[in-house]
Amino acid sequence: MSVMVRRIENVVVLGANGAMGSGSGEVFAAAGIPTTFLARTRDKAEAGRARAQQMAKAESVGKLIRVGSYEADLAAAVSQADLIFEAVSEDLAVKQIYFEQIDRCRKPHAIVATVSSGLSIAAMAAGRSDSFARHFLGIHFFNPPNVIVGCELIAHAGTAPEVIAFVDRLLADVLGREVVRTTDTPAFAGNRVGFKVLNEVAQLAAEHGVLALDALLGPHTGRAMAPLATIDFVGWDVHRAIVDNLHANTRDEGHDAFALPRYMAELIAAGHLGTKTPDKGGFYRTDEAHHLALDPGTGRYRPVSELAVDPPEFVQEMKRLHRVGRYRQAMAVFAEAKGDQADLMRRVILGYISYGLNRVGEVVERPRDVDRIMGFGFNWAPPSVLVDVIGARRTATLMDQAGIPVPAVVIDAAERGQQLFAEPQVDTGRFFFA
Amino acid sequence: MTRPVYILGGYQTDFARNWTKENKHISAMMREAVEGGLGTTALDPTDIGVGHVGNFAAELYTMQGHLGAFLVDVDPAFTGLPTARHEAACASGSIALLAASAEIEAGRYDCALVLGVEQMKTVNPTVGGDYLGTAAWYEREAKGVQFPFPKLFGRLGDEYDKRYGLKDDHLAHISAVNYANARRNPKAQTRTWYMSEEHARCQSKYNSVIGGRIKVTDCSQVTDGAVSLFLASEGFASRYAQRRGLALDRLPRILGWGHRTAPLAFDDKMAESADDDYILPHTRQAIVDALSRAGLDNVWDLSAIETHDCFTTSEYMAIDHFGLTAPGESWKAIEEGVIDFDGKLPINPSGGLIGCGHPVGATGVRQVLDAYNQVTDQAGEMQVASARKVATLNLGGSGTTSCVFVIGR
Repeated sequence: MSVMVRRIENVVVLGANGAMGSGSGEVFAAAGIPTTFLARTRDKAEAGRARAQQMAKAESVGKLIRVGSYEADLAAAVSQADLIFEAVSEDLAVKQIYFEQIDRCRKPHAIVATVSSGLSIAAMAAGRSDSFARHFLGIHFFNPPNVIVGCELIAHAGTAPEVIAFVDRLLADVLGREVVRTTDTPAFAGNRVGFKVLNEVAQLAAEHGVLALDALLGPHTGRAMAPLATIDFVGWDVHRAIVDNLHANTRDEGHDAFALPRYMAELIAAGHLGTKTPDKGGFYRTDEAHHLALDPGTGRYRPVSELAVDPPEFVQEMKRLHRVGRYRQAMAVFAEAKGDQADLMRRVILGYISYGLNRVGEVVERPRDVDRIMGFGFNWAPPSVLVDVIGARRTATLMDQAGIPVPAVVIDAAERGQQLFAEPQVDTGRFFFA
Repeated sequence: MTRPVYILGGYQTDFARNWTKENKHISAMMREAVEGGLGTTALDPTDIGVGHVGNFAAELYTMQGHLGAFLVDVDPAFTGLPTARHEAACASGSIALLAASAEIEAGRYDCALVLGVEQMKTVNPTVGGDYLGTAAWYEREAKGVQFPFPKLFGRLGDEYDKRYGLKDDHLAHISAVNYANARRNPKAQTRTWYMSEEHARCQSKYNSVIGGRIKVTDCSQVTDGAVSLFLASEGFASRYAQRRGLALDRLPRILGWGHRTAPLAFDDKMAESADDDYILPHTRQAIVDALSRAGLDNVWDLSAIETHDCFTTSEYMAIDHFGLTAPGESWKAIEEGVIDFDGKLPINPSGGLIGCGHPVGATGVRQVLDAYNQVTDQAGEMQVASARKVATLNLGGSGTTSCVFVIGR
């Protein structure tokens, strides 16, 4: 039996005008692989090429990219490609139209990947040829792909093991990615765990206010950007698509946290999509004179300067300790702080740790996989880092007190007295912002 | 015969981090590097007898001097620890190492902590460039000059061109090798950045001239970082090795060192070396001193070199000054692939200053930690096969202070 030698010498990107399409295309071209950018029109593809060149800050990357339109160039480009990368809009019906065309003209061994951030890989492969299905999988890059190296690799039941192994090596060795394999479950690992937190904070904002929540669960709890500011950055429409999918298709202890708050649904209908709609805004908006924050109760915006109150003393103390690198002491303050606000902060963060590590066995194989995608994909302190810095025994006790399920790996780490995070080359301090 | 100085290991922070974005004080970086080093070496804080900090310009970048005192803050056991801070521009880390090793040799202390640190992303590039100008003769060479150092090291290239001829494509290869090596280094600043030799060769919108013949791709970057390293006397190292079930000769030593200073101003250096085969004869002498103290007959006894490529021209200079080629013929070693990762004598398997990053006061310590990791077979994907002896060259200013170490077993 001969072993097939695979090479990726020619990539085609569909939807190459969008942020994910052009960004993903940059990753291939920057690795020296000739890449064809396709879009509805040649001009749109050219705009994607210009954007990729700007991301790489190198004309030599732009030179590796050819451009074309679906109508004029798809059949010819796909017929020569070793890897076809789909990044059209996040709509199953739209994607299926393109997959049908790809199925007709791809080479027999060409790999087909989708950048979908949460649609079912199996559903996308349904109705396609056996060969297509065997060579089809998800490669979920995070935005912007040239900066964020974490990515998810998602096979469906029919993907050939040889294809999975090959793409894993390609992503890690050629494209420099931190690869996490996940099952074909809604929103995969990163968005499932991350948007549970984000949406829970959005729910809580209805009662407690936008500024109070972002202050309570801000960078000092292990993230580069506060949660509601993150939803603005992601886009409220994208947020809704992800949490609606999770609310409809998952049944676990996080289910209620995926219900989109009513005030968000109403504002989305009125065109509030976050940063991408600067005139309307999201949780935040900037007009000529003011930085404004949303009042979820009324749907109105008020100047941050009028609304802002000093964060609780325990938040300020955590920041002071992070600033000088005393992360364990900061998280001791996190564990010991008194009052309703401290309980709220702990509920969300411990809920994140618990929900993340409890997906082991269902969405990913090992705790390390959740840690890697949250650390390298979201730039959030990975659940295991938080367990180590808080202390496994203390984490388990705090979870018990808050009525949050304690993951088996936390109990195990507490009993053995061992560290949970297993990436010696990663500075864990980088996840804690002062 | 001086007493041997052993190296027990250390820790490098991730040079891709931006500590200003993390809103961190410089002491956080020092703490992480020291705690990380105590972790990897399994040393007890009570073992440490003295602390030496290498730092160039924290007063300018962070409005904070007296950095030695921050070591005391890292652990309760460090209370009363004797400390000092050392400065010799980009060679500050090596000077701290020399001071610490001299104290071990003198028998004053059994175990010394050396920490190199620089936080540079606190200011914009123009202001940062001006601060770096204080490593030159500021009034003569840097005052009112935008980005003085690329211009000075561009002139080093010009001097090669004048005396021996120089092709910029050879400099582009140096850049491409350092970036390629950095991709194997999980702590390197540029490990995810795009680079190709073609890009490094082209002058373009994205690879513009910074000064003279120096383009963006010829430069090391503005970097935040700290590196710790622990040195020990023979007695301490014996007990340490025994506890870990190792023979003493498994622990690397500083086999040789060299330390020389040239005139501060670049013009004065060039005038002094006008009739010399070597453009920077004091740098050459520091290398000769170190190799000779290490008992090496020639450079080919080394397994790798970690050199000071603040710009591609300084690595070009290192190639002939180390003796890989005759003076002025560095291009031959480049064309023959000698300096490549899989070459006869790889230079900067870490990615060097261009690829790994250049937090000024930390660089000398980072080079020696990388040398330690090489000769103890702990360099991971950066590992040079059967590395036994590795040399470092750390420069301060425009080739003003030269420090060289030979690390090995």
